[in-house]
Amino acid sequence: MLRRGSISLVALIGVLCATLNGAWALDETKYPDWKGQWVRADSAETAPWDPRKPWGLAQQPPLTPEYQAVFEANLKQLAVGAKTSDPTARCIPAAMPRVMMAIHPMEIVTMPDTTYIMIETSSTLRRIFTDGRAWPKEREPSYAGFSIGQWEDSDRDGHFDTLAIETRWIKGPHSYDGSGIPFHTDEQATIKERISLDKRDPRLLLNEITTSDNALSRPWTVTQSYRRAGGARPVWTERICSEDGQTIRIGEEDYALSDGLLVPVRKGQPPPDLRYFKQNQN
Amino acid sequence: MQGRVLMGVVALALAFAIDDSAALDATQYPDWKGQWMRLGSGQGAPWDPAKPWGAGQQAPLTPDYQALFEANLRDQAAGGQGSDPSYRCIPTGMPRVMIAVQPMEIVITPDTTYVMLELFSTLRRIFTDGRDWPKDIEPSFAGYSIGKWEDADGDGRFDTLTAETRAIKGPHSYDSSGIPFHEDGRAVIRERISSDKTNPNVLHNEITATDSALTRPWTVKRSYRRIPAKEPIWSEYVCSEYNRHVQIGSENYVIGADGLLMPTRKNQSPPDLRHFQ
Repeated sequence: MLRRGSISLVALIGVLCATLNGAWALDETKYPDWKGQWVRADSAETAPWDPRKPWGLAQQPPLTPEYQAVFEANLKQLAVGAKTSDPTARCIPAAMPRVMMAIHPMEIVTMPDTTYIMIETSSTLRRIFTDGRAWPKEREPSYAGFSIGQWEDSDRDGHFDTLAIETRWIKGPHSYDGSGIPFHTDEQATIKERISLDKRDPRLLLNEITTSDNALSRPWTVTQSYRRAGGARPVWTERICSEDGQTIRIGEEDYALSDGLLVPVRKGQPPPDLRYFKQNQN
Repeated sequence: MQGRVLMGVVALALAFAIDDSAALDATQYPDWKGQWMRLGSGQGAPWDPAKPWGAGQQAPLTPDYQALFEANLRDQAAGGQGSDPSYRCIPTGMPRVMIAVQPMEIVITPDTTYVMLELFSTLRRIFTDGRDWPKDIEPSFAGYSIGKWEDADGDGRFDTLTAETRAIKGPHSYDSSGIPFHEDGRAVIRERISSDKTNPNVLHNEITATDSALTRPWTVKRSYRRIPAKEPIWSEYVCSEYNRHVQIGSENYVIGADGLLMPTRKNQSPPDLRHFQ
């Protein structure tokens, strides 16, 4: 009798625990603490895609010959002041995976079904779906792309420590960094990420990012790292590209705005075609 | 002996269940998951959905700001953009963004409720961690929000989020008709967000604006409906991508279909090209 009563009581306790905790609550203890504000750990001003190598050609991206030629042409344009290859100059978002350099602060909010990555750069919001969904057949490409993730307990201590993500349907134009390392124009790039805390320094978050793209001769892996910043109540800022000085494209040329005036972006640049203005024709 | 062991098991299990305080709190919050869209906002998405767009809103503006509003309406009627800066990809800001013309998601954590709006990729953080107002806040279009959860019906669960938002950056207007805020940037927005009592897929937001351009606080009630999709589709709103409006100095121009700069009014002067040889 006592034995049967014990089983009933244990069952009751089980139900009670399940009721009090609920799926959301019980799961929460399994996730790593990535709260707070993160900024890129690498401080190089030029912000190259691979932080271990210098900016530009020294990045040695494994581009196909065709796209290596595009890259070198982009560098030549940059050398004369034209940012044609960098759409962020026209307030087009930095897009995946470039935005994951976290040049501006980043916050990660982990919920059971979705991990949200919010980056001040280009006001980017990434939703990483971890609800076990299958890949949809089609998705409208976007600069953040469409991401599905899976939590892993890589050291088997009963807690998730690694978020593995795959991102598809990334909209172009986009480049890896400001040097204009190009993606293929077919928008078929896929990005795989593995995000985890540094085992030796929990103030550092590591992101191993592997890009597969038809402009590459092989997948390209770099590791970005982020350091926790801002204390318990960090200050968050809005970055509204349209507010700041920007580049505008008129015809095939980019022009800068400075003090309310159009300014050339390279020496000897012709002025814009103003044929639609009557006064200009006089 | 068996009884003592059993009591120990019970105590341990209860302690485990109750000690997980962060987890226990999660069950106290309302279920506002999913995708929300504006409900009943009429033609032109007026600020007060119960009244017509434009002068029909009867905004309680001071005479100075009523005159500005009317001048802006005349400009819009003549084909201009009036005082609505969003055509230049300036975010609509608070509180206008809460019309939720584009979808909205609300993510609740104990310390912060995130309101993510597709329009202008607006991210609002409503801090519910008990903080005080900072002494200095850099103005932003989303503003700085502090919130508090309330259990209005006393059933032991939070059902209402009250939020106060300050430090809202201008220029901004209530809606596309250009109803203006005071240029002093001291507007304060108070919200009470709660589920409809009979329909959990409807959310209400009572929004009260206090601003020096108003003769009294202005309260409107907005509502949102939950999109019935297990995996709602989220889009990106990148205003700059397709924006044809260009402001050079104080003049507005457009980029035509052929990519060339065009005037927006008859006899408009071309831009100053003094920096070109």
